[in-house]
Amino acid sequence: MNKGAGSGPTAAAAAAAAQKQKTLMQRVETDIASIVDNFSQLVNVARVNDPPVRNSQESFMMEMRASRMVQAADSLLKLVSELKQTAIFSGFASLNDHVEQRTNEFNQQAEKTDRMLARTGEEAAASLKELEAHYYSSGHRTTQNSQQ
Amino acid sequence: MNGNLEISVDKLPVKRLDAIEETGAERFPPDVGYDEKRESLIRRIDFAWAVEKDDNKRLKKRSKESSSSATTTPWQWQNMVENLQFAHQELSVIIDLINTVEANDAVTVAGMTRPKALPNEVLSDLSVSAATKLQCYRHLGIYFKQSAKSLEQQIAKEARFYGALIRLQQNWKVKRQRVAAPASGNEGFTIDLFDNSLYDSAPVSRPSSLSTIRIDHDSAGMLAINLPPNSCRSFRFGFLGVQSGDSSKQCSKVKNSCSPRPSKEAKESVNDDECVREKHSLLREVHQAIFYEQVFDIVNREAFKQSLGVNVTGIRENYLQLGIGLGISIFLSLIPSNQGDLSVDSWVNQNVESGILPLDSHDGVKLAEEKDDILRKSGGYPNPLTYEIYLQQVFHEYLYGRAKNKPISTGTRVSGPPTKDGSGLLGHFCLSLAHRIFSNKVRVELENAVCGVPYLHLVSHPTWHSRTSSWTVFLKVPQSILHAESNSRTAETAKSHFRTNVVVNDDCIHVEGEGTPNVVGLFEGRSEDMSSMNKYDCDLADLPVIILQQVASQVIRWLHEEALMVGIKANRDFLSLSFELDQGETVSLVAHVDPEDMRGCISWWLVMEDGFAAERKLSIDISDDASDYKKFLGHLSLDVLYSTLMDLVSLCGGGSH
Repeated sequence: MNKGAGSGPTAAAAAAAAQKQKTLMQRVETDIASIVDNFSQLVNVARVNDPPVRNSQESFMMEMRASRMVQAADSLLKLVSELKQTAIFSGFASLNDHVEQRTNEFNQQAEKTDRMLARTGEEAAASLKELEAHYYSSGHRTTQNSQQ
Repeated sequence: MNGNLEISVDKLPVKRLDAIEETGAERFPPDVGYDEKRESLIRRIDFAWAVEKDDNKRLKKRSKESSSSATTTPWQWQNMVENLQFAHQELSVIIDLINTVEANDAVTVAGMTRPKALPNEVLSDLSVSAATKLQCYRHLGIYFKQSAKSLEQQIAKEARFYGALIRLQQNWKVKRQRVAAPASGNEGFTIDLFDNSLYDSAPVSRPSSLSTIRIDHDSAGMLAINLPPNSCRSFRFGFLGVQSGDSSKQCSKVKNSCSPRPSKEAKESVNDDECVREKHSLLREVHQAIFYEQVFDIVNREAFKQSLGVNVTGIRENYLQLGIGLGISIFLSLIPSNQGDLSVDSWVNQNVESGILPLDSHDGVKLAEEKDDILRKSGGYPNPLTYEIYLQQVFHEYLYGRAKNKPISTGTRVSGPPTKDGSGLLGHFCLSLAHRIFSNKVRVELENAVCGVPYLHLVSHPTWHSRTSSWTVFLKVPQSILHAESNSRTAETAKSHFRTNVVVNDDCIHVEGEGTPNVVGLFEGRSEDMSSMNKYDCDLADLPVIILQQVASQVIRWLHEEALMVGIKANRDFLSLSFELDQGETVSLVAHVDPEDMRGCISWWLVMEDGFAAERKLSIDISDDASDYKKFLGHLSLDVLYSTLMDLVSLCGGGSH
């Protein structure tokens, strides 16, 4: 839908979007009109006519009208699905914002992890140095050497 | 028609003379008009036979009824049946009449008028019509209810599906496929897991088969991701022939969620949030599996290039065995996720025993395994899990860090793959691993040497470089000696410690020691001229001896300085310190190093020499403790050495001490 780049849609993209919107509105109007019209016809044929042949004719027509109403409702449902898909795949602004936000979060987390690793390494090195100093100057090592 | 056949004879259509007048004029009957003729023909149709027939039937029925009226009750629809039959007969008669008339082309039906219906007939027809229409509307009502229910279900399903899809889209690239005739509930969505930026730098030859994942609907209408079995594979690294308990644990960590789940599990996820989280986890595992495949692909391609320190010793599908030098063999493999419960070693043994096409001879593999056993016993192997992570980290930075122009190293740590020597990523990794194993051996040797000498300290210096290790062997002068020295003099302070640095780059050992005599000065007989630091390389086998000799020479130097401090002139050699006595005799304090000596690696000898001792020097057995010219002093501490020195100084009879 949104075919433009950067700051906003181009003229062609805007025209295409307007045409698309017009088409969708027409479909909505057509479907709504179909439902209303068919329902009106259903109500109008409620009168019982004298010739039974006409009643049979009207029963077939009522079934047809009802099917058309359901078909129009299904068409509206599909239109709603299309609108949802359009919203999912055309909302670039919000999507890009979200992606950038997540990217920043992950970068910060990566940097934080790197800092933590560096700090852990430094602490480990300091601890190792301290432990080595304690060990080599401890009585335990002296005792071991004397036993040897 | 019954047996009697009645025949009616028509007059010939000949004009018959009606009368003759007296004048002779013939009088004929007037011509019959068309209408009159038609009327006469109609009148000639005789319905008598039909009427007579009906009368006979009625009489018969009445007789039957009268005979059976006492025993049976009449059928309630009997009258209606009879009426219908009569009506049918009348209709058939009329139709016959019409057909006859039309066949003769004499009469045509101009029109028919329905007989006027009776009021009850009108009302009954109306009621039938109304009931019929009411039933029709009821059917419509049921149809509308069913349609509404199905539409509501479809709306609910779509709401769940698109809600989950929107949440997935926040973390993954969702694509829409333009399908001409999509099936119900499947709009053709896919999730693209491939990073297009990798194509530009061409580190990856082709996208994985898992790069595109189709989104389906499950029975509940929720978003579902179905993967083929064994599609996800995990990365494994290990040392050939080494028991690795951590790897087997990690195998069990591999989740089986990559395998297709039955629909029952989808039903068990009551909460949609949990379902979406499960999908996130599944996609993450697939993403990881793709990364593992990329790493394995790059490793395979680099393994067959001319690279430092890497030799391919075995290969099969999803399995690569490399020799990294020092008799060490490693393996890298892609294991399907459903084999995560198997221990790595059993899987590796399967590959070793069957299926592998070794590039080396079988003896070479055996020799490698024997050496691996030795290393395992000596504890030289690092944890394979750490290097599995390191391998992944190296390639991750190469693949994604380069694409995003991120710096490889962070902080003070430089662990990125240096490509200056042209080794490549895999070469760098193998060299790092070989260096780690080699440096462990060096550390063990240094620790053994330091443990054998009480006054030595070993200090490790983490370099944060994957192919460089550094240690320092400290020789510390005891505090008691330092305090004693400080009381005696104030102008100069002797050194309190001596250092020997050991740096390992890849598999090269570089030793820097202070206090060693200058080799040139030794040749020229002037051992006093010495450089402060001597640098030289050595092998692992020679390292203990060299370190101990370095330490011993430092001790000699220290003793020499102490002797000079007290004003005694002493001659210093590499491992000996000589004092001149009266009458030309010399007494020497000689150090002897032996790494294998369990009592101490550095022992001391006292050697007396007269003016003719130089001729007999070569014939003296150094191991003879009872020689008149030498005496074994034992493994002396620095305090005892200092005291010995002072004794020698006093023996020399000079000095301020």
